[in-house]
Amino acid sequence: MLPFASSGSKVTPRHHVSGYSNGYPRGSTFEISPHRFQPRGATPALRRRRRLFVRLAIVIAICGLFALFVWPGSSIFSVLSLGLLSRGEDFQLETVRYYDLSNVQGTARGWEREERILLCVPLRDAEPHLPMFFSHLRNFTYPHHLIDLAFLVSDSKDRTLEVLSNNLESIQAEEDEMKHFGEISIIEKDFGQKVNQDVESRHGFAAQASRRKLMAQARNWLLSAALRPYHSWVYWRDVDVETAPFTILEDLMRHNKDVIVPNVWRPLPDWLGGEQPYDLNSWQESETALALADTLDEDAVIVEGYAEYATWRPHLAYLRDPYGDPDMEMEIDGVGGVSILAKAKVFRYGVHFPAFSFEKHAETEGFGKMARRMDFSVVGLPHYTIWHLYEPSVDDIKHMEEMEREKQAKEAEEREQAEKVKKMKETFGDANGQWEKDKTEMQNIAQQEKKKDSSEGSTKDKQEKLIIAEAAASVEKEKSKGPAKAVVKEEKEDRKV
Amino acid sequence: MARPLGPVRLKKTNPLTLLLGAVLCIFIIYFLLGPSAPDFSPSRKAAAASHPLSPPTSPFRKQSTSSGVKPKPPPVTHYNLNNVTITANPVENRENVLVLTPMARFYQEYWDNLLKLTYPHELITLGFILPKNKEGNAATTELQKQIAKTQKHGPEKDRFKSIIILRQDFDPPLPSQEESERHKMQNQKARRAAMSKARNSLLFTTLGPATSWVLWLDADIIETPPTLIQDLAKHDKPLVAPNCYQRYYNAEKKAMDERPYDFNNWQDSPTALELAGKMGPDDILLEGYADMATYRALMAYMYEEGADDHLEVPLDGVGGTALLVKADVHRDGAMFPAFPFYHLIETEGFAKMAKRLGWQATGLPNYKVYHFNE
Repeated sequence: MLPFASSGSKVTPRHHVSGYSNGYPRGSTFEISPHRFQPRGATPALRRRRRLFVRLAIVIAICGLFALFVWPGSSIFSVLSLGLLSRGEDFQLETVRYYDLSNVQGTARGWEREERILLCVPLRDAEPHLPMFFSHLRNFTYPHHLIDLAFLVSDSKDRTLEVLSNNLESIQAEEDEMKHFGEISIIEKDFGQKVNQDVESRHGFAAQASRRKLMAQARNWLLSAALRPYHSWVYWRDVDVETAPFTILEDLMRHNKDVIVPNVWRPLPDWLGGEQPYDLNSWQESETALALADTLDEDAVIVEGYAEYATWRPHLAYLRDPYGDPDMEMEIDGVGGVSILAKAKVFRYGVHFPAFSFEKHAETEGFGKMARRMDFSVVGLPHYTIWHLYEPSVDDIKHMEEMEREKQAKEAEEREQAEKVKKMKETFGDANGQWEKDKTEMQNIAQQEKKKDSSEGSTKDKQEKLIIAEAAASVEKEKSKGPAKAVVKEEKEDRKV
Repeated sequence: MARPLGPVRLKKTNPLTLLLGAVLCIFIIYFLLGPSAPDFSPSRKAAAASHPLSPPTSPFRKQSTSSGVKPKPPPVTHYNLNNVTITANPVENRENVLVLTPMARFYQEYWDNLLKLTYPHELITLGFILPKNKEGNAATTELQKQIAKTQKHGPEKDRFKSIIILRQDFDPPLPSQEESERHKMQNQKARRAAMSKARNSLLFTTLGPATSWVLWLDADIIETPPTLIQDLAKHDKPLVAPNCYQRYYNAEKKAMDERPYDFNNWQDSPTALELAGKMGPDDILLEGYADMATYRALMAYMYEEGADDHLEVPLDGVGGTALLVKADVHRDGAMFPAFPFYHLIETEGFAKMAKRLGWQATGLPNYKVYHFNE
């Protein structure tokens, strides 16, 4: 026991040899202990203190509760609980991330191994195509939570951005968890492109090289901003794909190739033949093209599908057989960008869409070349087809306008003819009426005359009738003789022979 | 007469005093517990992503897994890259810097030097890539130990915005990283191709949408001026390389001395171009080997004692030991070719590719950083 004595202590010795009986050193002089004569206070200190503690506790508790209400999850509370209770989890920030890249190699059965895909979509003035694109997106059979979406909206003058984010928000807000996608990034970056995006200027030969370089730049910006260490696959998809299987991701992944593309065709109006190969950027290298490449200067870009560069390359698009095996593979060197599935590894190792002339190619074709350069497998599926949207070219529009004009002219002509007929009918109808009228009038006149004649005598009339009957009989005779004569003639000829 | 002592005083104790004591106690406990818990300033909290699926250049909020609440779907996030500035004054414009380091061995001096950088740490993201072998595992362990020390228990101004550790998915071509073995000419191509892959893997998975500058800093750079980032950025060049030297004990002078180390910063020479012209498509030109005299002008030898630190020279090839690059250069696609690109590979090929994209490299011959001496 501590040598402290409370005021209520009655066992304190009055005189103690050692001193310190009340905790204080005693002087050498004799003193009477002060406790003895202390009058009792109103309440004993112990009880008073206890009450004070109780009050303090209540005040603190109230303060704590108040603080909890005012700043929910603030750290004061956790301090009071000495960190034993859980801290406000909202403020636990994680600053260190650890990834093992050998876990994200990409395999043939990615959906079973929960491999994440980055879906990259470059966009520019694409508002009209977005509803179609989102219907494709919602229909993908690959588990949606494993698909991360990345969009690059550049130099758009329409409402692309707005429509895009509204659509995405509504997908993520859906009740059904299965429909939610993974990370969604919308990236805005304007490159100040002067090249027009309409069909004619887009596909004009002169604009190709610089256009392709700008496209490549946009693709690289998108990829470098969106690729994460947890991606196993990267899928590039254009918004203007009209028809594609919902299972396209699995279908392409199953081949387990580093880079793989389907065949891309487009439907055409009947007067143009019904369908047509669309993506001519997927091809195998040819000797002619290599020889041509050697003659061009460093910055030249060979673009496929133009008469200016006849390369004689076998194109994936032209090898399509509608009844061929969709799993058939073909090694290619250039790649079209409509729908590319690649292992993320390819991009991680540095393969990208050259925005400069790489081995005389740029953008997706250069991508294919670079992937080959780094010994990745680049494969096309000639008989597995997706369909690009048909956008009529200026010529087509002209042609269609002409057809429309012709049609209209035809219709006008028909209308005119109908009118003519009607008019003629009308005029004939009038004539008939007139005829009838004349007829009745004539008949009237005739009847009147008859009446006159009958009164005069009928002999003349009878004679006339006789003459008419005779004439008719002679005609009949003539008719029956005709064929008979002919037969005779033939008989004569037979004899001659 | 003697004053009544002790107990008397206690009796008179004011409740207010006790209250004050209690409040003080609370404050003491608060300040005792405060720093040990991970606590972040509002600006750091604002920069955090709300979902683990987010650019690794930002920290993210841990999602509560204990409570029965379903995790929210990832949000639709907008990034406007038009607003990411890259200027000569990065501190004022609060530009994010990504420091990338391919690491085979961990050097404590490297980490200490990194902590000494005066650029605001809340704007710095560190990225590491380490091979998956015994050496790499050891380095990872040590690195993680140091990271935990800084990020969990260090003062807030020392803590970095976020840190990414990657383990590479391919085997290093050489079992050993021995200095002599590493620099053998025939080993160079395979070694540097692997190095390119490591650098590209690190770069393209961490660049993200918010980075303004990328600082390539090798794991064996152990001494730089603390204002390294600001100094290099001040030049406002797409690629800026300081001169890489090495401190060593000079046996002749019997004193510490320094010698040039990185020979990959050079200006092209007609001889080198001629050599390249005669080569097959898969051959590479290497610098610093006696049997391949290129006569290129090496920045390593351009150093002048007492001259202006900020003297600039144009370069055609760069070394990766220390290199500040505008993020736009990488975003345009400039990477470290793992194949002979104009007979150049890795960082030298990178300078060439950047040039093809219209970005010119610059060297600072009088601005020195120091390499570890084995």
